[in-house]
Amino acid sequence: MADAHQKQHDYHIIDPSPWPILASVGAFIITFGGVGYMRYLHGGSFKLFGMELAHPWLFFIGLAIILFTMIGWWADTIKEAHQGAHTRVVSLHLRYGMIMFIASEVMFFVAWFWAFFDASLFPHEAIQASRVEFTGGQWPPKGVEVLDPWHLPLYNTVILLLSGTCVTWAHHALLHNDRKGLISGLSLTVALGILFSFVQGYEYAHAPFEFKSSIYGATFFMATGFHGFHVLVGTIFLIVCLLRALKGDFTPKQHFGFEAAAWYWHFVDVVWLFLFFSIYIWGGWGAPLAVE
Amino acid sequence: DQPAEWQIDLQPHATPVMEQVRWFNHYTLWFIVPITLFVLALLIIVVVRFRASANPVPSRTSHNTLIEVVWTVGPVLVLFFIAIPSFNLLTYELVVPDKPDLTVKATATQWQWNYEYQGAPKPVAFDSYLLKDQDRASAGKEDHKIYPRLLAVDNEMVIPVGKTVRLLVTAAPTDVIHSFAMPSFGVKIDAVPGRLNETWFRADREGLFYGQCSELCGKDHAFMPIAIRVVSDDKYNSWLTAAGADLGAANKALMAQTDAPAKSAVLAENVTK
Amino acid sequence: MAGPVADTHGAHAHHDHKPSFVSRWFFSTNHKDIGTLYLIFAIIAGIIGGALSVAMRMELQEPGIQIFHGLAAMVYGFEGDAAIDGGKHMYNVFTTAHALIMIFFMVMPALIGGFANWMIPIMIGAPDMAFPRLNNISFWLIVPAFLLLLLSMFVEGPAGAYGVGGGWTMYPPLATSGQPGPAVDLAIFALHVSGASSILGAINFITTILNMRAPGMTLHKMPLFAWAVLVTAFLLLLSLPVLAGGITMLLTDRNFGTTFFAPEGGGDPILYQHLFWFFGHPEVYILILPGFGIISHIVSTFSRKPVFGYLGMAYAMVAIGAVGFVVWAHHMYTVGLSLAAQRYFVFATMVIAVPTGVKIFSWIATMWGGSLSFRTPMVWAIGFIFLFTVGGVTGVQLANAGLDRSLHDTYYVVAHFHYVLSLGAVFAIFAGWYYWFPKMSGYMYNEFIGKLHFWVMFVGVNMVFFPQHFLGLAGMPRRYIDYPDAFADWNRISSYGSYIAAVGVLIFLFGVFEAFARKRVAGDNPWGEGATTLEWQLSSPPPYHQWEQLPRIK
Ligand code: HEA
Ligand code: HEA
Ligand code: CUA
Ligand SMILES: [Cu+2]
Repeated sequence: MADAHQKQHDYHIIDPSPWPILASVGAFIITFGGVGYMRYLHGGSFKLFGMELAHPWLFFIGLAIILFTMIGWWADTIKEAHQGAHTRVVSLHLRYGMIMFIASEVMFFVAWFWAFFDASLFPHEAIQASRVEFTGGQWPPKGVEVLDPWHLPLYNTVILLLSGTCVTWAHHALLHNDRKGLISGLSLTVALGILFSFVQGYEYAHAPFEFKSSIYGATFFMATGFHGFHVLVGTIFLIVCLLRALKGDFTPKQHFGFEAAAWYWHFVDVVWLFLFFSIYIWGGWGAPLAVE
Repeated sequence: DQPAEWQIDLQPHATPVMEQVRWFNHYTLWFIVPITLFVLALLIIVVVRFRASANPVPSRTSHNTLIEVVWTVGPVLVLFFIAIPSFNLLTYELVVPDKPDLTVKATATQWQWNYEYQGAPKPVAFDSYLLKDQDRASAGKEDHKIYPRLLAVDNEMVIPVGKTVRLLVTAAPTDVIHSFAMPSFGVKIDAVPGRLNETWFRADREGLFYGQCSELCGKDHAFMPIAIRVVSDDKYNSWLTAAGADLGAANKALMAQTDAPAKSAVLAENVTK
Repeated sequence: MAGPVADTHGAHAHHDHKPSFVSRWFFSTNHKDIGTLYLIFAIIAGIIGGALSVAMRMELQEPGIQIFHGLAAMVYGFEGDAAIDGGKHMYNVFTTAHALIMIFFMVMPALIGGFANWMIPIMIGAPDMAFPRLNNISFWLIVPAFLLLLLSMFVEGPAGAYGVGGGWTMYPPLATSGQPGPAVDLAIFALHVSGASSILGAINFITTILNMRAPGMTLHKMPLFAWAVLVTAFLLLLSLPVLAGGITMLLTDRNFGTTFFAPEGGGDPILYQHLFWFFGHPEVYILILPGFGIISHIVSTFSRKPVFGYLGMAYAMVAIGAVGFVVWAHHMYTVGLSLAAQRYFVFATMVIAVPTGVKIFSWIATMWGGSLSFRTPMVWAIGFIFLFTVGGVTGVQLANAGLDRSLHDTYYVVAHFHYVLSLGAVFAIFAGWYYWFPKMSGYMYNEFIGKLHFWVMFVGVNMVFFPQHFLGLAGMPRRYIDYPDAFADWNRISSYGSYIAAVGVLIFLFGVFEAFARKRVAGDNPWGEGATTLEWQLSSPPPYHQWEQLPRIK
C-alpha cells in the first residue's frame, strides 16, 4: 500500500487549516453582535439570559475576526500558488468556483430587482389598496422627487464603463508581460472605482428620498447600495491585485487572482448598467427631478 | 356545518362551488389511489417473483424504449384528465358573478373578525370573537353540539340562503396576515394587510357553518373562528334591519327562530338528568 | 500544526499519517472527515428536531392545552395566564424550530454534507473535493447557524414572549411588526449563515463533479448519485441567494424602517412570499434529489442489476430541477393571485409528476428481473419508493388550485409533505446510512436491529401522518395548538404514532452503538457483485487519501 500513497495526480490536497473554524467563530460573533448592534442603533433591547447585549462591540469584534481570517486564508492561497499547488486543473477549479460564485451573486441581485419591479410595474393594481393609496397609482410614487439620471448617474456609468476598459487594458498588458501597462491600467481602474464610490456617496448624501418609509427609497437604496457594496469589495480586490502586481506576483501564464478580480469587476459593471437603465432612467421617468 | 368525529372526507357542501370541489376531490382519488396501488402491486410482484431465492440469476436488461415511452405518456394522459376539470373548477371559483346580491367585507385583526355589510339601509358592522366559556350562558349558547368549543363565536355573520354573496377580505392595515376559511363553502382567501381580496359564495341551504382562521397569525391563531349563519331571506332582512339598531337583540331574536328545535332537545336532555 | 501551510508540497508523502486530533477534526480538509462531522451533526439535529415534534404531538394528543403552559412556566418562568399565552406562542416556536432544524440542520447536512461529501469524490474517482478548505467552512458555518437558531428560542420575539413563532416560512408582517423582538433577527441570521454554508458547498460540489471525474468517466457514465448531487447543487446555488435577499429585506424592514413588505409604505407582504417560495420550492427538491440518487444505487445493488434507463433517470432529475424553478406560487393559491397566474402554476406543477413517475417506474424496472436480497438498506429503499409515491400523488392533488383552496393550510398539506420528507427524505437517509455504514466505519451493522428499526419506524410514521390526511380533509388547520373536539380521535392516533417513531429513533441509535461496540469487520464490499460503484473497490474504511493513483474508467 505504501507506494500507493505517493500522490500521482495534479489535484491540490490541502493541509488542515485553522481558518474555516476561525471564520465560523467570526460569523457567529458578527451575526450575534449584529443583532445587538441593530438593536443599539434603534434603541431597542437585546436580552439573552438576563444579559443586555444591545451594543456595537461584538459586531466589530466579529468583523475583525472575519477580516483577519480572510487575510490569513488568502495569504495561504497565494503562498500555495507560489509553491506551485495551482496546477492547470486546480486553476480550472478556481475559475469554475469564481463563475459559480458570481452566478449566485446574480441571483442575489434578482431578489432586489424582483422587489423593484414588483412595486414599479404594479403601482396601480386595484386589489393592493394600500399601495395604490401610497403611490397614487404611479411610479415613481406621487410626491417622490428623483435623481436626474443624466447627471451624476450618467457620469458614474461612464466612470464604471471606463474602469471596465482599464481593467481589460491591464489584462492585455499582463498577458504581454507589460508590467508598466498592467500597473497603470490597474491603478486607473482602482482610481475610477474609488471615484465611483465617492460620487455615489455624494449622491446618497443629497438624495431627496430616504431608505425608510417608502417603497421607492427602499428598492432604490437596497439595489444600488448592494451594488455599491460590491463596488467596494471589487475595489479592494483590485487594490490587492495592484499590490501583488507591484510585487511582481503575476506572470502571463499564472494570474488567476487578477482574472477573478477582473471578472468580478465586469460583473459589477453589468449590474450597474441594469440598475442605471431600470431604476434610474425607466424607474424615474416622468417624476420631478430633485434640484441639487 | 362542523367537522365530525372520525371524519375522513371533506365536509358536506353547502354551496355549488364546494359541491364541485368535493366532486373533483373524489375524481382525483380515482386516479391517484389506483396509481398508488399499482405501484404497491408492482413492488409486491417484484419482491415475490424476483427475490434471490426465487430468481437466483439476475437479467441484465437495462433498456426498453417502448416501456419508457409508455410510462412517460401514461402519466401525461392522466394529468390531462385531471387538468381539464381542474381548470373548470378553478375558473368557477375565481370568477365572481356579475351582480352579487350583497357584499360583505371581512376584516381580520389579531385575533378577531369584523364584518361590514355594504349597502345595508342602516350600516351594519360588528366584531366577531371566539365565544368565551363564561359568556355562553348569557349568550344562550350553552349547547356544545351547536356551539362547539373553539368554533362558536359571539356574533355570527348572517347571510340569506340562495343569494350570491360577494365577500371582500382584508386585514387591518398594520396587522398580520390571516385567512378566511369556510370549509363547507369551498372558500379560503387570505386576509392580507393592504390588500383587498375578493371571493364569492352562494349557500344553498340554511344552517350554522363553521370555519377557522387559516394563516398563522400569532399566538391566538387557533382561537379566531369564523361562523356563518345562513337563514331564509325574510329572517335575514329582519335581522339586518334589527342589527342596525341593536346587534345583540337581533342575534337573540334570530337564534330563537333558528335554534329552537335543538334547544328543546337540550332541555329534554336536562330534564332526563 | 505549526502553521496553516507549514508543510505543503514535497511533503505529500507524509499524508498517510493522519493529523493530530485537533487538526483532524477542527481544521479538517479531508472530505471523509468533514462528511463524518456532518453526519454526527445531522444525527444530533435530528434528535433535537424529533424531540420538538414529539412535544408538539404530546400537545396535540388531546384537545385543550396539554403541556405547553407547563413548558412555558418551566423554561421561561411564566405564571398563570401568562403561562397559557406564553405556551401558545411557544407551540409556534416549536413548530418553527422543528421545521427549520429538520430541513436545514438534519436533512441537508445528512444528505449533502454527509453522504455526498463522503461519497461523491470517491464515486467519481477523485482524491478529495475541489476546495477542501472551503468544504470545512461549509461545515463549520452550520454550527453557528444552528446555535443562532437555538439561542433565538431564549430571546424576546413578540412583546412578552420568547422565540420565533412565525413558522418556517416566516411570512411578514408576522415576522416583522408582528414579532418585533430580536429573536427573529437571530433566526434570520441563522438562515443567512446556513445559506452561505450551502452556497459554498454547492460551488464545491459543482466544481468537483464537473472537473474531477476520473479519466474516462464522462458525464453519461457518472453514478446517479453524482447526477443527483450535481442538480441539487445547482438548485442551491440559484435559489438560496433569492431567499437571502428576501430575508435581508425582512431584516431591513425590521431594523431600518424600510417598507418592502409594509403596505403603509407602498410595500407588499405577498412579495416576500414570492421570494420565499422561489427558493422554497426548489428547496424541497434539494431535500429529495440526493435521496433519489441514493435509492438508485441501493436498488441496483440489491437487485444485482444495472440501473434501468440510466439516461432517463439522470435527465428526469435535471427536468425536476429545472421545472422546480417555475412552480413556486402553488404555495400561494389563496393569496389572491389572478386566474391566469393560478392556471399557469397548476399546469406547471403537474408537469413535475411526469419525470418523477419516470424515476419511480425505473426503480421498479431495475428490480424487475433482478435477484433481490432484502438487506436493511434495500428494505428502506422499497419503503421509500412506496411512501414517496403516496406523498407525491397527494402533491398532485394539491397542485390543483381549485382543490387546494379547500386543503391549503390544513393538515392535508402537513400529511403530504411529511410523506415526502419524513417518510421520503428520511427513509432515504436511513437507507443510505445502512448502505454506506460498513464502508464508512468498516463495521457491519446488525441486520436484525436494522430491520427492527425499519418496521418500528414504518409503523410509527405512517400512524403519525396517514390520519393527518383525514384531519386535513375534515378541515383542521395547521399550526394550531388546540383544535375543535371533533378532531380528537385522529389526533390521538397520530400522537401515539409519534411515540412509536421516537422509539424507532432510539433503536437506530442503539444500532449504531451496537455496531461500534461489536466491531464486526465488514470487508471491502459486503454487498457482492451488485455493488459496482467505485467506493466498493476501496478498503472499508477507505484510506485517508483515496485514489492517489486515479482510477481509469473504460
Ligand atoms: C421532499 C419534499 C417535497 C417533494 C418532493 C414535494 C413534491 C411535490 N409537491 Fe410538495 N410540499 C413540500 C415538500 C415536497 N413536495 C412541503 C415541505 C410543502 C409545504 C410547505 C409549507 O407550506 O410549509 C409542500 C407543499 C406543496 C403544495 C402547497 C400546498 C399548500 O400549501 O396548499 C403543493 C401544491 O401544489 C405541492 C405539490 C407537490 C407536487 C405536485 C410534488 C411533486 O413533485 C410530486 C411528484 C411525485 C409523484 C406524482 C409520485 C410518483 C409519480 C408517479 C407514480 C407517476 C404517475 C403519477 C401521476 C400521473 C399523478 N406541495
Ligand atoms: C425533513 C423534514 C421533517 C421531518 C423529518 C419531520 C418529522 C416529523 N414531524 Fe414535522 N414538519 C416539517 C418538517 C419535518 N417534520 C415542516 C417543514 C413542518 C411545517 C412547519 C411550519 O408549519 O412552519 C412540520 C410540521 C409538523 C407538524 C405540524 C405542526 C403544526 O402545523 O401545528 C407536526 C405535527 O404533528 C409534525 C410532526 C412531525 C413528527 C411527529 C415527525 C417525526 O417523523 C419525527 C421522527 C424523527 C425522525 C424521523 C428523525 C430521525 C432522524 C435522525 C435521528 C437523523 C438521522 C441522521 C442520519 C442517519 C445521518 N411536523
Ligand atoms: Cu388569524 Cu390565524
Ligand atoms: Cu412546492
